[in-house]
Amino acid sequence: MDLGPLPQLVVSGILTGLLFALISVGLTLIFGVMDVVNFAHGEFLMLAMYLTFGLALVGLNPIFALPFVALAAFVLGAIVYRLLIRRLLDGPPSTVVFGTFGLLVFLQGAAQYFFTSDYRSVPNPPFQGTLHLGNVALGEAQLIAGLGALVMTALVFAFVEFTEPGRALRALSEDRVAAQLMGIDVQRMNALAFGLGTACVGAAGALLMLTYPAFPRVGTEFALTAFVVVALGGFGSVQGALLGAILVGLVEVLGGFYISPALKLIPVYALYLVVVLLRPQGLLGRR
Amino acid sequence: MNRTLAVGAMLAIVLALVGGSAAPIRGAEPAEIVVGSILPLTGGLATTGQGLKLAQELARDLINGRQPYPLLMAGKDGLPNLGHAKLKIIFADSQGSPDQAKTVAEQLITQDHVVALLGTYASATTATASQVAERYGIPFVNPDSSSPTLHTRGFKTFFRTTPHDATFSENLFEFMSDVLKKQKKPPVHKLAIVYENTLFGTGAADAEEAIAKRDSYDVALRLPYGANSSELQSEVQKIKAAGADVIFQSSYLNDALLFMKTYKQQSVSPQAIIAQDAGFIDPNFVKNLGKDADYIFTRDVFSLNLKAKNKAVPAINELFKARSPGGNNLDGNTARDFTAVFVLADAIDRARSTKPEEIIKALAATNIKGSDTIMPWRGIKFDEHGQNTLGNGLVEQIQNGVYETVWPFDVATKAAIWPMPPWDKR
Amino acid sequence: MTPRSHGLALGIVVVALAALALGYHNAFVLNLVFVGLIYAVLGQSWNWISGYAGQISFGHALFFGCGAYASALFGVHHGSPWLALPAGALVAAALALAVGFPCFGLRGHYFSIATIAVAAIAEIAVNNIGALGKANGFEMPILAPSLASLQFDDKGQYVLMALVLFAIAQIGTITLERSRLGYYLRAIRANQEAAASVGVDARAAKLATFAAGAALAALAGSLYAQQTLYVGPEDTLALPISIAIALVGVVGGLSTVWGPALGALVYVALARYGGAVLGGQGHGLDLLLYGGLILVIVSWRPDGLAGIGGSIRRFVRRRSAETPA
Repeated sequence: MDLGPLPQLVVSGILTGLLFALISVGLTLIFGVMDVVNFAHGEFLMLAMYLTFGLALVGLNPIFALPFVALAAFVLGAIVYRLLIRRLLDGPPSTVVFGTFGLLVFLQGAAQYFFTSDYRSVPNPPFQGTLHLGNVALGEAQLIAGLGALVMTALVFAFVEFTEPGRALRALSEDRVAAQLMGIDVQRMNALAFGLGTACVGAAGALLMLTYPAFPRVGTEFALTAFVVVALGGFGSVQGALLGAILVGLVEVLGGFYISPALKLIPVYALYLVVVLLRPQGLLGRR
Repeated sequence: MNRTLAVGAMLAIVLALVGGSAAPIRGAEPAEIVVGSILPLTGGLATTGQGLKLAQELARDLINGRQPYPLLMAGKDGLPNLGHAKLKIIFADSQGSPDQAKTVAEQLITQDHVVALLGTYASATTATASQVAERYGIPFVNPDSSSPTLHTRGFKTFFRTTPHDATFSENLFEFMSDVLKKQKKPPVHKLAIVYENTLFGTGAADAEEAIAKRDSYDVALRLPYGANSSELQSEVQKIKAAGADVIFQSSYLNDALLFMKTYKQQSVSPQAIIAQDAGFIDPNFVKNLGKDADYIFTRDVFSLNLKAKNKAVPAINELFKARSPGGNNLDGNTARDFTAVFVLADAIDRARSTKPEEIIKALAATNIKGSDTIMPWRGIKFDEHGQNTLGNGLVEQIQNGVYETVWPFDVATKAAIWPMPPWDKR
Repeated sequence: MTPRSHGLALGIVVVALAALALGYHNAFVLNLVFVGLIYAVLGQSWNWISGYAGQISFGHALFFGCGAYASALFGVHHGSPWLALPAGALVAAALALAVGFPCFGLRGHYFSIATIAVAAIAEIAVNNIGALGKANGFEMPILAPSLASLQFDDKGQYVLMALVLFAIAQIGTITLERSRLGYYLRAIRANQEAAASVGVDARAAKLATFAAGAALAALAGSLYAQQTLYVGPEDTLALPISIAIALVGVVGGLSTVWGPALGALVYVALARYGGAVLGGQGHGLDLLLYGGLILVIVSWRPDGLAGIGGSIRRFVRRRSAETPA
């Protein structure tokens, strides 16, 4: 049986989805622990991409830059939590929405002002070859980005599941009050979660630079996709984010091919509406 | 009391000065002829807009100066028929917004009393600014907007020196059949039209499809896609499945790069990929793709790498380069804006008047030889819609990382390589 | 502030701007005033749903676009612009009901993301539908200037039209604050469950507010289109427009009568005038300042500029009360 381009589309969809997963895991982590939707999540991705670009200019391959970028993103996230998010948590829920929205506008404006709206891509990017598996052709860069995202997502999962601070994070997201009574330092854990969530987009930014340029508004579309993924997988669920991301990647690529490429984001956004309206806890989330 | 008097007197003087400077300058033989120029000097198009301003300023200085160049109206110490009056350009910022462009057009006409307007690069801002000019009966010379609908609005004041997207697309098809005929290759039938679905791509694709249908090509695929897509797998699979002989493509840089990488990955090897400038002539295109950028055809409006019709091109380019903060060469945009200032100056000079209706008459009678400009055009002559009928684009091919002009043949620097070799045979 | 003093303030603003519109013929300044008024109305319409009703929308450009496209379609097909105004408002209100009815059940941020998703779907759809002009948009035909054609030679007359709309928005808000609906909304925002237990239908109250706000935004869109005579998706429907509207609402101060007007003043000053004055490549500086302003406001003064104004007024009043007569 000839499946035509289907195998190729499925593989491409999964690889695209893996990158979405890494971006979304950060978002869902922050949400799970402190019930905050970070509207500026895409802007952290954008900053990470510019940092990777800067490191590439001094000769550092994005793959080797990844740990530095992730670490820098972690520190940035923790600082932003200390300086801004912590203050917002005291106010009514809308304060957090407006605060992170303000951060989005601020960071985008700063990038436009300091870096201009030009596209920046890594000069002579590595991994430009193609691998052929039967009828399926894969770009090396995409493959590495996808696998890298998978590894990073697994690391985050292992951290949350199997380490002491990870257990504390989970305790916080399950029952805030009980966790506090058990002597968990909420502020520290929040800062850790925010830093970790930002580190995830940091890593994603470094991987993304293998195939994609940086520009001030690059984060918007990815962040929007991440919102869809997180809603689909269930707000707060790391496994859910991985599953949701792969589904969204498949919907985008298959929808693009079988419906129309120009409309390919409509099924993705519609998916969000359907999920939040019919199954607000998502696929793997708890209510 | 004295103080009040003094303040009052000063106020009166200031008011008189303000009033005086704003008075209309539409006398018989003025010392200065004031035209307005609307450009995107800030905002997302600011980099382009600033370059266009430099080009117009350079043209103005050559017109007002005494240094002769083989260009119409250059080095005659102003406009000779108007007592060597000097040309003055007041620049206004459209911010790239249709609404702002309209406002500054109104301001230039009612407050600065300009006799003509130039501008505005982006098609949407040109649409609104030229409406204002039409309402006030002020001539509007558009050097650089390419939307095919701009000149079909029945305006009496609108003159466009540049060819528009329909002409450019026509050139691409002419180029294709000329090359195939010259190189004795079999004709192509199946086309795919691939375009980003905002203003630029949609306009180009509409024009291409109309010509393809007229010339009975088989448009196997018309594929719009969203600019800034994060992946283009489904798009490229559709293109691959369509199996077209030639892909006509309109993309911005980001998408152009992603498309090329995905084409290579999926071994999409048509006979040719023919592009509408934009992303494909961005300096970063070759920088990023290296060898993989080779064999792409793209239209352009101007090139330093052609057998120029005018010997002054290198010298003018040096002048421009010296003024450009980034040391940029003249490109398609700056060269067209440079040229339009001469066209307007020539019309005002022939009108021997600064009355807008006289200038409009003179513009309509414009007849400039291509060799009197720096453009690769046959000339400048407007039809009843105010569209220049003697303009044409160029077709370039990237060969060993260099943009070589391959069409029209009389200005070509290299012969076209057709078809492009498949990806695994490079 | 009492309704009476709100009314007095509105009277002063309207008279002053009307005098400017009739007496001062500087196209640049009058355009700033016009754009400012349009954004004040948009910010107010957003304030109704996102401030008073507490449902934060990041897709408000959808309704602005409804009005603009209604004007464009009526203009291109030779219909009267006076029919476009109610048509756009009706479509916007219907869309608001269609979005609001299912989505008001959602918790806060789910709703906000849903508004982004809906607006994004609308933008993609318009970009691909031939009858809506795709990405090219519409250039509207120029008609003889008159009140009937809603096209004018003089910017001042557009400002007068915008002033009428602004007055409607302000009077609507003053009325809302005093009305039963306003009372319900306050109750819902304070505690939805408690409000429901005393018989307040939260969904109906929010739907009414959302639909009214959408209609108001559409009217602003129509008027904007009549002035610009060009309507395209990038200038009416795109996310940056939604963001700008929300910016105007937040910076000025949520759930206040004068917040959106103050926000619009700052917006025009920074985004429109700032660009002209700072010049050069200064793109993004307005966003930078705006974002910074929001961060400062939400961290220290969640009630925005209007709240700061209120504090100053109270401070002055206290000082003058302390001063012996």
